[in-house]
Amino acid sequence: MAGLELLSDQGYRLDGRKATELRKLQARMGVFGQADGSAYLEQGNTKALAVVYGPHEVRGSRSKSLHDRAVINCQYSMATFSTAERKRRPHGDRKSSEMSLHLKQTFEAAVLTQLYPRSQIDIYVKILQSDGGNYSACVNAATLALVDAGIPMRDYVCACTAGFVEDTPLADLCHAEESGGGTTLSLALLPRRENIALVQMDARLHQDHLPALMEAATVACKGLSKVLDSVVRQHLQEVSVQTRE
Amino acid sequence: MSPMKLCVPGERLCSVEDCIPGTGTYPRHGSIFASLAGYVLRRNEGEELPIISVVRETEAQLLPDVGAIVTCKVTSINPRFAKVHILYVGSTPLKDRFRGTIRKEDVRATEKDKVETYKSFRPGDIVLAKVISLGDVQSNYLLTTAENELGVVVAHSEAGVQMVPISWCEMQCPRTHNKEFRKVARVQPEYLQA
Repeated sequence: MAGLELLSDQGYRLDGRKATELRKLQARMGVFGQADGSAYLEQGNTKALAVVYGPHEVRGSRSKSLHDRAVINCQYSMATFSTAERKRRPHGDRKSSEMSLHLKQTFEAAVLTQLYPRSQIDIYVKILQSDGGNYSACVNAATLALVDAGIPMRDYVCACTAGFVEDTPLADLCHAEESGGGTTLSLALLPRRENIALVQMDARLHQDHLPALMEAATVACKGLSKVLDSVVRQHLQEVSVQTRE
Repeated sequence: MSPMKLCVPGERLCSVEDCIPGTGTYPRHGSIFASLAGYVLRRNEGEELPIISVVRETEAQLLPDVGAIVTCKVTSINPRFAKVHILYVGSTPLKDRFRGTIRKEDVRATEKDKVETYKSFRPGDIVLAKVISLGDVQSNYLLTTAENELGVVVAHSEAGVQMVPISWCEMQCPRTHNKEFRKVARVQPEYLQA
């Protein structure tokens, strides 16, 4: 491939990471008082904010309500200043609608929706800064927000991307690597049982390489789940200290 | 209180043979898993196995369930039904307002065909009711007041004064001594304290 060298001969990537190394993940839960649950997450330079409302009565047309489980409503948006080129429409374009749909499918697999028949759970995510892996940052942020809201889930949902360059799978791609024209695989995983909530692949890849790529994404998701776990535990401890004071 | 164990969603708590899954947990493949982040609580309730549940510092959103006693405020009436907003489930306030309907047939248990909604409720009344159904596509929560303990508990007269119940179907205004019709609830002592 012409142009950028995504993986150097020494095995280092553009931003100095090793092939399987993840970007730094930082997160905070309960950033808004008004919402039922909220979280802010940074995955490298990708920054996402997630808010959860509900479960509440179904808004809009009542025909949307399901008699045996809750409806999950997701809205994905990107701040106008999130990309290098200023965005015209923060939400509602084709890409955002597709992302909203994917998020909805992901969380329908993880949330125990049958506990809340005829109600609705709203998940709003916003990308504040975009540097690749927007979907995974949104999923991870929304998971933390759902935990903060106290909505029952089967497991965390952890999402990560993986790419394939020069016969080597790369974990957690940044924007430069994503736009390099190679394959990008997005995986959302319930890590404890390795149940796949969503998997998506852009561009072509030889079938023989797929297991290696899936394996790299799975390992990355499990690594992320450990970080999310420590964030949740720390938050729980902080909250319990606050209430005892 | 001893330091309780923290748990996160998806964490395995114990086998189904040791405990009964309570709130915030779910059974799967013979084990009990947590579905919430919080503290693990084991409680013995006279049964052989303790109930295991996950409790949180802040109470999660409660939803009106079938059979629950709810406190609601009448928003509008028409000859067929009264529309209400559900404010409380039991004694816990709801964060969101849920809409409900009390149909004419569900106002009282006897002489259902002689019920007139405007002689039972007025907009603004506070009513104790029981949830009978979560409703279907067209309707929302269906409520009933067809029990002695259910019905209007607080009502204001046309003069704007809180009225005093004088019988199961009438309330009187203490200022004008006007009588107005209501489906009055026989308030039970345990609700008076709440």
